[in-house]
Amino acid sequence: MAERRKGLIADNPFVDVAACLFLEDIADKQGASGMNNYLVSLATSLAKSMPEEEYATWDDFLESLVLGNSIISAFEDVITITPHCAITTECPFTKGWQEYTKRIGTFSKIHTDVAEYYNSVYKPGTINSMCIIHQTFRNAAAERIKIAGKILKIAQIAAVWEDGTRRISPDEWLPVLLEKAQISSTDLNMILRNNADVWVMYTE
Amino acid sequence: MLDVALVSLIQDMSEKAGVEGTIQYWARVGESLAKRMGKEAYMGWPSFNVALREGRTAFSIEGSVTALTDLAITDVDGDVVGYIYALETCVFNPTIVRIRYSVGELPRADSAVAEEYNNSVRDTAVCNFCVIHQRFREEVAKNISIADQALDCVQLANRGFTGDTKIAEDSLKKIGINPEYVRSLLRNYACVYAILMRGARLKGEEEEDE
Repeated sequence: MAERRKGLIADNPFVDVAACLFLEDIADKQGASGMNNYLVSLATSLAKSMPEEEYATWDDFLESLVLGNSIISAFEDVITITPHCAITTECPFTKGWQEYTKRIGTFSKIHTDVAEYYNSVYKPGTINSMCIIHQTFRNAAAERIKIAGKILKIAQIAAVWEDGTRRISPDEWLPVLLEKAQISSTDLNMILRNNADVWVMYTE
Repeated sequence: MLDVALVSLIQDMSEKAGVEGTIQYWARVGESLAKRMGKEAYMGWPSFNVALREGRTAFSIEGSVTALTDLAITDVDGDVVGYIYALETCVFNPTIVRIRYSVGELPRADSAVAEEYNNSVRDTAVCNFCVIHQRFREEVAKNISIADQALDCVQLANRGFTGDTKIAEDSLKKIGINPEYVRSLLRNYACVYAILMRGARLKGEEEEDE
């Protein structure tokens, strides 16, 4: 079971590197907005191809999430430190990025440019193109999950990339998000030292 | 995750742009990756084979590749002009497993793309991922020179996730390797291909011409 779970989370560096270069080609022709549209549709299409979920209680959902049975945690190792605060321990694109830097060179600037575009047009929470896929997928997957009849909502709190770059939610949003997540800003900084992503989960 | 996301697009893409569109898409992805990996030059076959073993060539991104040095390819004069190489595990095997446990099944377009590739390009695909692999290797070979000579990569045989195989008998005939021998290699390897000097006068080709 653990082996299967490990295999599910692991990425495919060959495809990840190829896809990154392909995305760069798209950006050459269609700019950051074209690349962003492609990333968003890629992640949305993936979420839509996965089965819908229903849970009777919040606890049932949390158990499924942490065990990796939920579609939300299908591609990432998720832990929870409060019932509403989820943490991705390692970015699922790490291996692909490492392979890219080894085989191709430094990550093309377009991957951060497209994130800036996303942050200004959608929500300010991404560091690079990989975060766009990741966060869009999570939000689209959440729409397929019902807990006690209510649709799951997810909001990004903070992300850290492999090189240490951080993206924390804007100051005006942060107190509300931390309150919903039931953590303090000190907790957040402690979490960010050795994890990849922090997000809050709730229903309305 | 990105691999599963890309695969989830295949069905949609094949419905909108046809399976030919998906073939072109995968071919472009493979081509783009190979081109961006840059050029390589080696003094001779031994240095290339060592680089391959140590994971330094572009071919190594696919995983563990073994140079079958007992299977040297010789030209009409008996000079070594290439070797046969074998990839231990298809780089897409883990992706197929991930699709099984996350989405459920491979899109129907998977086999349709492979079939179209076998009919319109060459009969060497066991699944849609073979398109990206094979195009990638062809392009990588163009970027590598050994003793100042450009290379070619020729697909010889492969085994799919469910055990189905493809053996390129015509290519094997040209390089003078028995198809049954290559079939036995598939018991231990997922993909077998030849890397050889471009334009080499192979024994099998000469016999064919005669």
